[in-house]
Amino acid sequence: MEIEEGSNATKTSKITSRTILLGIIPFVVLGAMIIFLLNSPETLFPNSIKPLPEVSIEKIELSDGRIDVFVRNTGPSEITIAQADVNDRIHPAAIEPGRTLARLAGAKVVIPFVWNAGEPYEIGITTADGTRFSKAIDSAAQAPVPTFGQASTFALIGTYVGVIPVMMGLLWYPFIRRLSANKYNFFLSLTVGLLVFLGIDALLESNEIAINSLAATFNGQILIIIVAAVSLLSLLYVSQKLVVRASRASKSDIDYIDNSKSEPRGVGTSRPVVSSSQQQLLVRPIAISMMIAIGIGLHNFGEGLAIGAAVLLGEVALSSFLILGFALHNTTEGLAIVAPMAKTRRIPIAKLLIMGLIAGVPTIIGTWLGGFLYSPIATIIFLSIGAGAIFQVVYGIGSWMYHMNGSRGLLTNASIIAGFATGMLIMYLTGLLI
Amino acid sequence: MNYTMLTLIGIAAAVITGTIFASLYRSPINAQDLSKTEQLGGHTPGYPSVKTTGDVLDPTSLPIEPKNAALDPAKYLREFNYGRISEAANGTTIREFTLIASDQDTKEISPGVFYNVWTFNGTVPAPTLRATEGDLIRINFINNGTHFHTLHFHGIHPAEMDGVFEGIAPGGKFTYEFIAEPFGVFPYHCHIQPLEEHISHGLYGALIIDPKEPRPSADELVMIMNGFDTDFDTENNFYAVNTIPYYYMHHPIQIEKNKLVRIYLLNMLEFDPLNNFHLHANMFHFYPSGTLQTPSDYTDVATMNQGERGIMEFSYKYPGKYMFHAHKTEFAEKGWMGTFLVKDMAVGDKSINESSNNPSSLSTPDYLTQLNNNSNTTGLKPPGGIE
Repeated sequence: MEIEEGSNATKTSKITSRTILLGIIPFVVLGAMIIFLLNSPETLFPNSIKPLPEVSIEKIELSDGRIDVFVRNTGPSEITIAQADVNDRIHPAAIEPGRTLARLAGAKVVIPFVWNAGEPYEIGITTADGTRFSKAIDSAAQAPVPTFGQASTFALIGTYVGVIPVMMGLLWYPFIRRLSANKYNFFLSLTVGLLVFLGIDALLESNEIAINSLAATFNGQILIIIVAAVSLLSLLYVSQKLVVRASRASKSDIDYIDNSKSEPRGVGTSRPVVSSSQQQLLVRPIAISMMIAIGIGLHNFGEGLAIGAAVLLGEVALSSFLILGFALHNTTEGLAIVAPMAKTRRIPIAKLLIMGLIAGVPTIIGTWLGGFLYSPIATIIFLSIGAGAIFQVVYGIGSWMYHMNGSRGLLTNASIIAGFATGMLIMYLTGLLI
Repeated sequence: MNYTMLTLIGIAAAVITGTIFASLYRSPINAQDLSKTEQLGGHTPGYPSVKTTGDVLDPTSLPIEPKNAALDPAKYLREFNYGRISEAANGTTIREFTLIASDQDTKEISPGVFYNVWTFNGTVPAPTLRATEGDLIRINFINNGTHFHTLHFHGIHPAEMDGVFEGIAPGGKFTYEFIAEPFGVFPYHCHIQPLEEHISHGLYGALIIDPKEPRPSADELVMIMNGFDTDFDTENNFYAVNTIPYYYMHHPIQIEKNKLVRIYLLNMLEFDPLNNFHLHANMFHFYPSGTLQTPSDYTDVATMNQGERGIMEFSYKYPGKYMFHAHKTEFAEKGWMGTFLVKDMAVGDKSINESSNNPSSLSTPDYLTQLNNNSNTTGLKPPGGIE
């Protein structure tokens, strides 16, 4: 990384006003074309037909005697909303701030309506050209309002779903420490299996939201890939920095840093081809565990958003059984955090607790945000960040295991393969409970 | 362990979260701003109402802008066109009409909803034509549209006057001529394929042929039950009598107590196989197709298939406001409902007239208002049996 900065510095000094001018020329031409097209007569493209309107119904909230419908103009041009209906029957409504919506502008449609709890409804919005857009409510339920009581309920859900299971998983720490190398390999790869499952799950879930709840304009599926990739790359960068800094801070492993610096660019500095001194062995697993905690925290934040949103949208009835399912599913996350630290020196309990909180508490924050301020695009972004984070951790553990096993290789080790498969299977089976 | 880095990640995550929520929910909505508020809802007794600072979307009680509308239902209701009258050598009365087809206009068919209507003489439905049995009807038909169009009348006439096999090209003309027979009420419409498309866009109207011996004097109304499929999914989005949904809810049809009312009722609804008409607090004599002088039924619901029609005759015994609507309630709740305001001319009550111009009075049945305001001074009594 130092090499990169250096080469940039030499180039930076050469930028002159002439260079800037050359850089601007394409923009000038582009600007000219934009001005020409915006002012061109309609006869230029005589066959152009009027673009079709598109309205996205992003969220429907039910409260006493009224239905609030949050709409957004996701079509190519300005639209006017003409009327609203419930179950395809016209009802008086109001639209705030006004009936005319600029491109991508949002509005709230208020329909005074006495709804019956537990019944499905369909809300329709008709534009001035008579096109109707609709969204279904699976089961009518009072929308959560951000009161202290409701926030406490969500906090309780988040605690049961996120914090407690992770903490329970951490209790495996002493058990993991007593394992032989081969069994340890098994549990480490089991962790990888769990995480790969979580990563895929997050991608699939955000894909589902992108298809069902996000207007095509937002290109949700591309967004997932971009966010997950950027998240993965930046967390890789951060984790390498963490390892290097921590090693440097201990001032006893100059060898490691020197070697990594001398590596050619493009090859990950994490490749453990260098000195396997005691210091690195001590520092690196903790960094990996911390990254796992952060990755799982981001994942749980996305999961919390999804749970809160599901409650808000009336898609799930929260039951003890559902929460138990989530809890079982998430207990394995604690195991994932402690697994890499089994062969290091004993970790203070406070540090373990901090990691557990980093991984678990975001669930609570997620349920609050999802339940009170649902936004499909935010949910997609956080699930994707979580997916990127998890794949970074997978890479981290993978390279760590590669380092530990040295020349023996990973794929020839039966316990590693078995562990990976078991991890995935556990997640699949506990997932059936949700 | 480097906590600076963790802090940085935390801050970055917080900033991303904040930006996303802020950009999505930087909503201009401020429900608490009561400086410019309107109330809506409450149009039905016991129904919730809310206050808003935004625009009200309410076709049930907001009158349509007449400038853009596909029809002025108040005018259409009692407008009969008898044609340019002349007399043939043999003494037959000749009634000459001109109908011009067009298919390029976009007009309002419900408040704020614009639809490409296809019209004869610019309105949906087309003008009501009226003749007496035995008259010669001559129609100068001009196609000002971009599609082929024809005029197809129900009734008895020669094959070449049936308007089916000889389509009139855009810019073309044709003169339809036939003897008005038998007496009754008949639809007329374009008969070009695809038929459903041409009819559902609005190319239809009513022809009334009076018997030589005139029917008893009455307050005569024309009502065409119709609808519009504005999103082209072969299901109607709007239903009405005389095109504009809910129009007669906020513009009640004023009739007189004990005076005979005669409605020429036609069903030109496309897509839905059945439609019907239900009269409140009264019964009517029904003459299917209006072709016989004796009623076939004394009832309060008339059900019609596509193209069916008939004549209804009734008079109201008590003054007040009465609903009429499709008893297929789906259609009613998508616009097909209206009200009669029965006035007692003997009493000359003014309060009914005043309230009829005020849409908000719809929230309370008129007879209740009457009771509250002047129960001692007027002879008005609520209809028996109603609370």
